[in-house]
Amino acid sequence: MDGFAAAASALSQMESADDELTAPILEAIPVTGAAISTLGDFLGTQTVEASDQLAARLDEVQFDAGEGPCWDALALRAPVLQPDLQATMQRHWPAFADAVAAQEIGALFAFPLLIGPLRIGALDLYTVQPMELGTRDTKRSEVLASIVSRHVLRRAMQTADSVIDTAEDRAPNSRRIIHQATGFVIAQLGISAEDAHLLIQGQAFAQSRSMREIAEDLLARRLSFERADNAIEDAR
Amino acid sequence: MNELTRDERLVDVFATLADTLIDDYDVVDLLQTLVDTCASTLEVAAAGLLLADDGGELEVLASTSEESRLVETMQLGAEAGPCIESFRTASVVSVPDIEQARPEWHEFRAAAREQGFTGVYAVPLRLRETTIGALNLFLDEHRSLGERDLRAAQALADVATIGILHERTLRASDAARAQLQQALNSRVTIEQAKGILAYTHDVPMEEAFELLRHHARSNQLPIALVARQLVDRAIIF
Repeated sequence: MDGFAAAASALSQMESADDELTAPILEAIPVTGAAISTLGDFLGTQTVEASDQLAARLDEVQFDAGEGPCWDALALRAPVLQPDLQATMQRHWPAFADAVAAQEIGALFAFPLLIGPLRIGALDLYTVQPMELGTRDTKRSEVLASIVSRHVLRRAMQTADSVIDTAEDRAPNSRRIIHQATGFVIAQLGISAEDAHLLIQGQAFAQSRSMREIAEDLLARRLSFERADNAIEDAR
Repeated sequence: MNELTRDERLVDVFATLADTLIDDYDVVDLLQTLVDTCASTLEVAAAGLLLADDGGELEVLASTSEESRLVETMQLGAEAGPCIESFRTASVVSVPDIEQARPEWHEFRAAAREQGFTGVYAVPLRLRETTIGALNLFLDEHRSLGERDLRAAQALADVATIGILHERTLRASDAARAQLQQALNSRVTIEQAKGILAYTHDVPMEEAFELLRHHARSNQLPIALVARQLVDRAIIF
């Protein structure tokens, strides 16, 4: 098993909320540091984990400035690659550029954390020297980011005060409805049953409603994950 | 319909079920056949089979109709009604007149009445000292079941129990538990597959289930397997 396969497997199998998500990523991708953050209204904006001080700082600066590669990656639902950050950042993100001008950063690569239509956050990777990430490592980072997305959403729901799995949701008839709605989401997005279930759970969590309510909306076709929930993609 | 014809039909039913049990079979298919034949031979309006999950909660595993109100009525009976009563006491619960049902079963009574049912019977699925679920029979037009009908129903319920737990696993309770859980899990996949078909074909759940069954039958595959393939997106129809 090569480094990437080992990292993907290690990431996939993580169960404890204490496990470091960035460690396997740094073993597989040749970068200096990594930071994982949640962004936007859905889970709030905060750093979930950073492998070092500078990685954490890079995230914070983007939060404060309200702009930067991580925001763009999430809005575009695509990686934002800056192999020579110092050369390009002033033009793209002036406020962010002013704040990090003094830092030793060569390259910054931001990957969106997504589950279906849900925008969770971003994975930021940086290097001290400017560097091209390359097609293979870009693809690999995207795969790792997709695994990270699921962990971040699960952990956020586990630690939340709000009850996501209500007694109502556990009743057999509710479960049946939730399973049927899971089928709707599988058909809508072509994703696995596990992801479809997580998506319904995430939606319930985001709206402080029960999974059954979300499921009923799906079955009544009042809600569909197929339709883009906002126009960001269309705007590009 | 005279008594003899019904007896003959019952013999056929048991012969078919016995044949199934000898061969490799799928438990979901078996239970579906069982509720369907139960309804036709005993001439009841609807039949449903409920199994207890790990938490002891009863869940509809097979039903003559997947219509959601019917399934919900059965679930209500599993919360407060004849079904849970039968499960707890391991005995047949007869309510020939739904209006005479206990006051604490009012939610179930209202739902059953709304479905046009006038009577309900619940027969336990027993395995030695434990009960694993219950068979529900719903009647309309004020018809009732006699002693012989209930004996036949209990025999059908026993066949279901054997079918679910497999004879060879009867000795090990852990294996029986796993078998039971597997049956319940396959129901999860079937519900998801129904959802996929209902969405793709834009049809009600009831019809989605028929599509699933039809595909399984015409390809001679177990329903649970076809459902699994749909959910894994290995097939599309």
